[in-house]
Amino acid sequence: MLNAQNLTIGYAGRTLAADISFTLGDGEVIAILGPNGCGKTTLFRTLLGLLPALHGTTLLNGRANVALEPNTIARLIAYVPQISASFANFSVMEVVEMARTPHLAWYSSPGDKDRAIAESALAELNIGDFAGREFSELSGGERQLVMIARALASEAKILLMDEPTASLDFGNQVLILDEIAKLKSRGVSVIFTTHHPDHALRIADRTLTIARSGQVQIGLTSVVLNAASLTALYGIGIELIERDNRPSIVASLESARPLLNPG
Amino acid sequence: MNSRTRLIFAIALVSALLLIPFAFTVGQFPISLAEIASLAWAKLSGASSVPGSSANIVLFEIRGPRIAAAFIVGSALAAAGAAFQNLFRNPLVSPDILGVSSGAALGAVVGIFLSLPLVAIQGLAFAGGLLAVAIIFWVGNKIRGHDPVLTLVLSGVVIGSLLGSGIALAKYLADPFNQLPAITYWLLGSFTSVTARDIFFASLIIFVAVVPLFLLRWRINLLALPDDEARALGLGVGRMRLIVIAAATLMTAASVAICGIIGWVGLVIPHAVRMLVGAEFSRLLPLSMLIGGTFMLAVDTIGRSIAPTEIPPGVLTALIGAPAFIWLMAATFKQRRI
Repeated sequence: MLNAQNLTIGYAGRTLAADISFTLGDGEVIAILGPNGCGKTTLFRTLLGLLPALHGTTLLNGRANVALEPNTIARLIAYVPQISASFANFSVMEVVEMARTPHLAWYSSPGDKDRAIAESALAELNIGDFAGREFSELSGGERQLVMIARALASEAKILLMDEPTASLDFGNQVLILDEIAKLKSRGVSVIFTTHHPDHALRIADRTLTIARSGQVQIGLTSVVLNAASLTALYGIGIELIERDNRPSIVASLESARPLLNPG
Repeated sequence: MNSRTRLIFAIALVSALLLIPFAFTVGQFPISLAEIASLAWAKLSGASSVPGSSANIVLFEIRGPRIAAAFIVGSALAAAGAAFQNLFRNPLVSPDILGVSSGAALGAVVGIFLSLPLVAIQGLAFAGGLLAVAIIFWVGNKIRGHDPVLTLVLSGVVIGSLLGSGIALAKYLADPFNQLPAITYWLLGSFTSVTARDIFFASLIIFVAVVPLFLLRWRINLLALPDDEARALGLGVGRMRLIVIAAATLMTAASVAICGIIGWVGLVIPHAVRMLVGAEFSRLLPLSMLIGGTFMLAVDTIGRSIAPTEIPPGVLTALIGAPAFIWLMAATFKQRRI
């Protein structure tokens, strides 16, 4: 279980956001929204114990994350980073097997059991036939699916996904959202960052917004995301249109112009 | 291990097994394979019939150590290169990147300049290599930039060139008739004067360094990922990096101490092997060592046989390595694996 208590995040001399408190429930999906540079990735790094919080603590199963070994954290939380180009030509299977690191002794390599877990993680996402392909030769959407499969293969119950839909085409974006919804139904908890409020409205139980000022709001998605809050968050005119009881977002183009010349 | 990897392993192994006896036959004193077999058998069974014969001396005291040294040094340099290419997330990196060769060269050059005995020169070279890497590692850690790997590389470049100027100064001040040829000879690398004792100490150090690389062979793969990602997967990145740097440095310094600087092997061999079997270190390490050793032995055998005077192995590896490197680089960029 992940529990953020009064977190202040940022780097020495630069506070990005303060007073972040929440407890992630089993099978809960939380979306994190905010303008570029507001600290979404920094929050992830803080939750993962990669960066110390300026104030407050993150508890994993009741223990402060900064006091835990990387191995212990990796067994509890799986991190799905933004798609990055890797120099190394690993096969998809080798990439997914890396998730078994926290379960292996320092001198051992993945065995049959680990391979089976990796295979079933790939099968779960319907990409079992990727196993022998080279990771570097996959498309963006395919890589993202492999990264999610890797997170599943770690058997962690919490997934932190950094912009899982970034740089994907529309079809692949919807595919990834569907996968997150499926993870939720299996009892896996997901925190994901996104630049699409629509994606939060679609699958997130709760939404956490970080404003450029560093102000943080967290609550039920339907409560936190409304025309007024989104307008304040992004600094542009936003309307929510309801159709079949489902809100969708419309932004006015002209309203974005002042972003360039704030004066 | 898939069938392709197994085939490449088999080819490499057969080439090594064919090359080694052949290398024993090559040289000014002709010895046939049959003679080698009977002398080796006599030695093994303890019934050394003619211990003082010139064939025996050539075989066991001249060619034997030389062949062993070439193979071991080639393996060690290729292993160190494979580890560093992974650690620096760059397939075009060589074991020298953290200044081990410059440090060792300065140590040796100072030893030659002070007319110290050979053992002391080798000891200074080994210590110089370790010291240079320790300084670079320390400076890189002190700077604590956003990207620890980049700060390491940059401090390596700066301190490497500082050491280079030290070498240049020693060459400038050295006695042009006695010392300068020795320095030049050492900087080009040579297996000519390697003794069984040298090989014993160097292989001991290399063995000690290979063991952790072998045990960590799977975890080392994760160093190729961005730091955050590797750590989130459960890897203690800082500790791992330190172990890999220490192991690769020990191997390279031990090699350089007994045979001088031989470039290119540690760069081209692991890079080529990675293209053949992928980046997975459990395959990359043993295959790089096998092919690195074979390549080094082939180069040294050519170097001591094609011309009336010996061609230093450092010259030949550059002649073969530079075009091979350009070809590999072109192939790498074409495959968009960088």
